[in-house]
Amino acid sequence: MTAIAEHDQDVAAGRADAAGQAEAAGQAVTMAAALNLALRDALTTDDSVLVFGEDVGTLGGVFRVTDGLAAAFGPTRVFDTPLAESGIVGTAIGMAMNGLRPVVEMQFDAFAYPAFEQITSHLAKIRNRTKGRVEMPIVIRIPYGGGIGGVEHHCDSSEAYYTHTPGLRVVTPGTAADAYGLLREAIESPDPVIFLEPKRRYWTKEILWREDRTPLDRAVVRRPGADVTLIAYGGALGTALEAADAAETEGRSVEVIDLRSLSPFDDETVTASVRRTGRAIVVHEASRFCGYGAEVAARVSEQCFHYLEAPVLRVAGFDIPYPPPSLEEYHLPSVDRILDAIERLQWQDTAAALRAAS
Amino acid sequence: MVTSQLTPEALLPAGAPVTLLAADGRPVPVDDLDLPDDEVLLALYRMMVHGRRFDVQATALTKQGRLAVYPSARGQEACQIGAVHALREQDWLFPTYRDSMAVAARGVDPVQVLTLLRGEWHSGYDPYRHRVAPQCTPLATNALHAVGLARAAVIKGEDTVALVMLGDGATSEGDTHEALNFAAVWHAPVVFLVQNNGYAISVPLAKQTAAPSLAAKGVGYGMPGIVVDGNDAAAVYAVVRRAVTAAAAGAGPVLIEALTYRMEAHTNADDASRYRSREEVDSWLARDPVTRLRDYLGGRGLLSAGARAELDAEAEAAAAQLRQRMQAEVRRDPADLFRHVYAEPPPALRRQQQELAAELAAFEEAGVRDDSDR
Amino acid sequence: MAAFLLPDLGEGLTEAEIVSWHVQVGDVVAVDQEVVEVETAKAVVEIPVPFAGRVTQLHAGPGEMLAVGAPLITVSDEAASGRVDGASGNVLIGYGTAGTQQRRLRPARKDPAAASTRPPVVSPIVRRLARTAGLDLAAIHGSGRDGLITRQDVDRAIEAQAAGRRAAPAPDAGRRTDPAPAARSAEPVRIPIQGVRKIAADKLSRSRREIPEATVWVDADATELLSLRATLNAADAEPRISLLALLSRFAILGLRRHPELNARVEDDAIVMGSPVHLGFAAQTDRGLLVPVIPDAQARTLEQLSEALTAATQRARGGTLRPAELTGGTFTVNNYGVFGVDGSAPIINHPEVAILGIGRIIERPWIVRGQVTARQLTQLTLAFDHRVCDGQTAGGFLRFVADCVESPARIMRYL
Repeated sequence: MTAIAEHDQDVAAGRADAAGQAEAAGQAVTMAAALNLALRDALTTDDSVLVFGEDVGTLGGVFRVTDGLAAAFGPTRVFDTPLAESGIVGTAIGMAMNGLRPVVEMQFDAFAYPAFEQITSHLAKIRNRTKGRVEMPIVIRIPYGGGIGGVEHHCDSSEAYYTHTPGLRVVTPGTAADAYGLLREAIESPDPVIFLEPKRRYWTKEILWREDRTPLDRAVVRRPGADVTLIAYGGALGTALEAADAAETEGRSVEVIDLRSLSPFDDETVTASVRRTGRAIVVHEASRFCGYGAEVAARVSEQCFHYLEAPVLRVAGFDIPYPPPSLEEYHLPSVDRILDAIERLQWQDTAAALRAAS
Repeated sequence: MVTSQLTPEALLPAGAPVTLLAADGRPVPVDDLDLPDDEVLLALYRMMVHGRRFDVQATALTKQGRLAVYPSARGQEACQIGAVHALREQDWLFPTYRDSMAVAARGVDPVQVLTLLRGEWHSGYDPYRHRVAPQCTPLATNALHAVGLARAAVIKGEDTVALVMLGDGATSEGDTHEALNFAAVWHAPVVFLVQNNGYAISVPLAKQTAAPSLAAKGVGYGMPGIVVDGNDAAAVYAVVRRAVTAAAAGAGPVLIEALTYRMEAHTNADDASRYRSREEVDSWLARDPVTRLRDYLGGRGLLSAGARAELDAEAEAAAAQLRQRMQAEVRRDPADLFRHVYAEPPPALRRQQQELAAELAAFEEAGVRDDSDR
Repeated sequence: MAAFLLPDLGEGLTEAEIVSWHVQVGDVVAVDQEVVEVETAKAVVEIPVPFAGRVTQLHAGPGEMLAVGAPLITVSDEAASGRVDGASGNVLIGYGTAGTQQRRLRPARKDPAAASTRPPVVSPIVRRLARTAGLDLAAIHGSGRDGLITRQDVDRAIEAQAAGRRAAPAPDAGRRTDPAPAARSAEPVRIPIQGVRKIAADKLSRSRREIPEATVWVDADATELLSLRATLNAADAEPRISLLALLSRFAILGLRRHPELNARVEDDAIVMGSPVHLGFAAQTDRGLLVPVIPDAQARTLEQLSEALTAATQRARGGTLRPAELTGGTFTVNNYGVFGVDGSAPIINHPEVAILGIGRIIERPWIVRGQVTARQLTQLTLAFDHRVCDGQTAGGFLRFVADCVESPARIMRYL
């Protein structure tokens, strides 16, 4: 690593650490800033980490997630590539074969599709193909999801394609703190990680502690409740939490789970919750048919069958191409839509009715 | 902004393919390219004899049901051996599914080379041992891997050149374009060797490209392109060697097109007579690469009949040994399915493994149904 | 039938000469068995045959030239390597489809005997709740559509079960429990009549409906009876003789004298037999049960007492078999344990009479012209007036009362 050390030592000296200073002062940082901090810390602690993609260098990323990194760590470690997604992932694979740890960016969800072959035929399979001799410790960061009034191709949710590919880890933070913790863990993982960043939450703020790491394969109960479990992730998490608050005023006690890891799935946390509440709803932006929620519903039904008071419902996008900005609000799961779904959970046939009556 | 320091003309391939030994075995003088040393030529010949015998044996094994499939490189020995021999130990080879001969020539145990093709596992060897990437089935995708590996070597300050093999068909894939572009932009130490054997399964070159040559595409990336006689082992060796040396010295990537011919069908299950004539195949017999080098060496008195016979016997013995070793049953452990999906199998995957184990145990216990009289 | 074509033996050679065959027609060959020696322009080569079977044809003889690609040897596919009808054979990228997959022997599935009436489909959580609470779904009434058993139905059944346990007083005389706190809800609680309770209810209703019943009763001085019992149970004698056992013994003796009271009405006929299958009322958590002691007349007082105690325990534990609850010919009922004097007991259909005894308490009585305190009890006999008249009934009851008042008298009948 001498080439890197020599080359970048002087550059690293002058790096700005605004987010780090804010964190030290106990102020809240945005998710974008938390991601930036995570990349910064990873680049600092591990010389083999590289960050590259389109516009991530000089510009600092179209969402400023890589802001200041090229200046801080130099163009050998943080750089812009030609505009070629398959090329970005394919060369990352070659670099990983030669001992480096690439953290690449796909500029928007739908623009990752050209890299799909490299991701599914190689990134996900090389460990298996070589019986563990070759590892792929690569992170592919992908801003995904809608809710920002973006035009076509900029608001997709493609998690189902990746979760369906064995060999990949797929994670998505719902909060700024998790954005930091999950990204650090993802970069350090020996497995390839598809890191889906809910861009509508890039500007949400939270106080974060850098010592807190988020495990790569655990869901978390964000909000405890007794009557029904909302299972959400990424951009929909915020909506689910809002819905839970609203439901409280209507007399329903709602538990909200933030999955965080879409693959592998944390069966333990989710089934423990549903066995307590007896009712579950999955919330996601992606369209419902063959969406990620279908897997969750199947798993929960299978593992909690005798505890379910009602079928597992899904509140998801319609089975349509992602709408234009003018109609986006009708497509995305809303608080009201979630509340309506809660009401469809067969409350009339339940001990709760007896309880309420007595 | 023009990025290349060379003029477009300098990047384009010269008129005729580079040849050092003509089809009849006579040497051809070439400016600024010397015929390799006798020692090298003898080594090339020896490896080609072995390579061909290995290839023929693998074809036979497939006909006998010992391999699932074998895409033969017979007729392409000069490319396979010439390129591999030109690599240094620290360099990397990125082969396709057709380059088993090259992989074996690089030092990988022939049985391990055939692990993929007999259907035992997706790859049979440790890539780091001989610096050979797994045989790649999706075309051109490994060109990007080669570029990334080479770039990483530069970042680490290591002297490594990556050589990736491509077929004429693969040059149409987007990944070839992206790999050439990245390699050139990064000035990466990569040698792209296109074995133009005339066909992509049944599709002839004329339907694959309208370019004057495949090597000519290099100019679009600012990368020099060279066309070489792919049945001339001496020329292939010399050209690849020069490219490797230059890349190692920081001259950047090179695109080499080797003109050769695929003597067998695409695989054993392909019927080549449907798309090419017997005459065409026969016409390439006259340009056989092994014969060419043999004739030159024989003519120079460097290869006696006795030496030839000895070599043939050596190759024959190796083939017999391969046949024998391939008699062994394919190793099958269903638990392998789950071992290397992740660094550590997640709980749900472990449960699936247990499910399969239970299924197999039930089989053991219950026994096999006898449906023979249905 | 598979023909092995002469393979290309290398270096683009196009033909070979047969040197010698190692097999002949009819031989069985194995895969890779070397079957022939051929000579090419360069060398003599042994060729292994790629499939197994029986040689049916050799296509060229020694000394003959054979072109590459021409048939060399044909082998019948007796044991052809894995080729099965429908198999695709070798395909461009692999082995191709094979024959059918190996199947596992599967043991015959034993379906549980289908219940004669299955409860309508219930949801899994409802099933689990019922199972955990020990409730039989068949006995739960479904209030949902088409008789569907809903969560509420099961919850109510569980509530009722719990309430029943709390509300039922213990059979031991005098002990009373407080009213169940759970019953203090403002809303009325619906407790379905089902299961054991329903069976008993049906029987009682039928009895009242069908039997023209009349009742006679008499007060009896049980002082000597109690004294006798104390004597019998002195010094911790085992088994303890219970009051019910003594009463039963008297009843059995009485039935000997009035056998028409030891009968059943079946299909317009009075079925009388000499055995006395004695039923007695037992109060349990599940409600009223009437276990039957078969052939009570053949048992000694001790045996009778033992049998009654055992049957009572089993009734309370819920382990009585249905056979032990049927076939009675006469029933005795000690409602005195409830602390009441008298009762108009309901005949245990299809029997014809039931004898009851109330509580024994001190009351003023006239003995030899003097008012004195004696242990008094009331005996009641309800009887089917179709079967016997007041004389029989009164006679029986009088006899039993005499036994109670002067137990020594029964010595005469032993």
